[in-house]
Amino acid sequence: MSRLTRSQATKLLFGKITDQPILGGIGGPTYDLYGAGDRDRNLYTWGSMGQIASMGLGLAIARPDLRVIVLDGDGSILMNLGCLATIARKAPPNLVHIVWDDEVYETTGRQPTHTGAGTDLAGIARAAGIPKAVRTEDDAGFAAAIDRALAEPGPWFIGAKVAPEKGTARPPRDPLFFKYRFMRAIEKPQ
Amino acid sequence: MLWTEGIVAALKRHKVRLISYLPDTIVYRVLSLMENDPDFEMVPVAREEECVGILAGAYLGGMRGAMFAQNSGLGNCVNALASLAVPWQIPMPMFLGQRGELGEFNVCQVGMGRATRPILDALGIPHVTPTRPEEVEGLVSDGIKLAYDTRTPIGFILSRQLTGGKNE
Repeated sequence: MSRLTRSQATKLLFGKITDQPILGGIGGPTYDLYGAGDRDRNLYTWGSMGQIASMGLGLAIARPDLRVIVLDGDGSILMNLGCLATIARKAPPNLVHIVWDDEVYETTGRQPTHTGAGTDLAGIARAAGIPKAVRTEDDAGFAAAIDRALAEPGPWFIGAKVAPEKGTARPPRDPLFFKYRFMRAIEKPQ
Repeated sequence: MLWTEGIVAALKRHKVRLISYLPDTIVYRVLSLMENDPDFEMVPVAREEECVGILAGAYLGGMRGAMFAQNSGLGNCVNALASLAVPWQIPMPMFLGQRGELGEFNVCQVGMGRATRPILDALGIPHVTPTRPEEVEGLVSDGIKLAYDTRTPIGFILSRQLTGGKNE
């Protein structure tokens, strides 16, 4: 039982996934997604803070045949809490929304976010209307949550407490390359 | 053909299915035609910026979509457009109920009324303002073609001259 860093938790996730598409939010979630293992079904982002969960919702609606995994950050989701109510209203069973909650804005110098002062993201998600919203504190809790989220219908929200860590991996900042690679990787056979 | 029917016909012609929206008085006249139509998947949002993310995600998965909102909502979308839709070259038809111009009764709508086109221009997003019902289907259809064939957002500004606007 120990609290993971974000990169350790991302690697734990990689031990459990198969071919699910994964969308990485701005900053740490994208850096550690790339660091855990570059693959065609990873999508990296460098802007539009707060929008990654909305992108996941759009993809989940467009592609009910895929289980869509979103890697978000606490600072980012705090900018777009309304999207949790939007997700609840559409309730796509194939959406797995993971928020790495390190309680800081890591990329800008580790300033505290509201979650360190008591804001409970899984509680917000549940109150927004997502019943399968869980908060995990350590490796065992996160592993158990992922096992369920990959097997049972969602939408899932996992607020995973992680230890702050400066992510060092950097995918090339080439959105168009990664856009087309991702689209071709998940394209339905004609 | 009513202007509302012209928009729906153009969307259907180009197989635009996902409609992400925040209702306002003007665009709801179109949305109300689509909400029980199985050709459309309606995705209401809490804040207009979500539409940008939702439409981008749907496009990555091969589904065409469009956004409907008041022009005030464009102001809530600026960073998402500038940092997602534009650099990622995401096709994104945006139907904006235009407030704050001739005939406006609410002073607080005027600022965005003035800012709507300059914001789109600053982002390099093309836009068109149909004023006659009979031109709507053709302009919207050509605009959607431009958006998808050249991979760009596009704004359709729904003026009071076209829609009758909102009166109080």
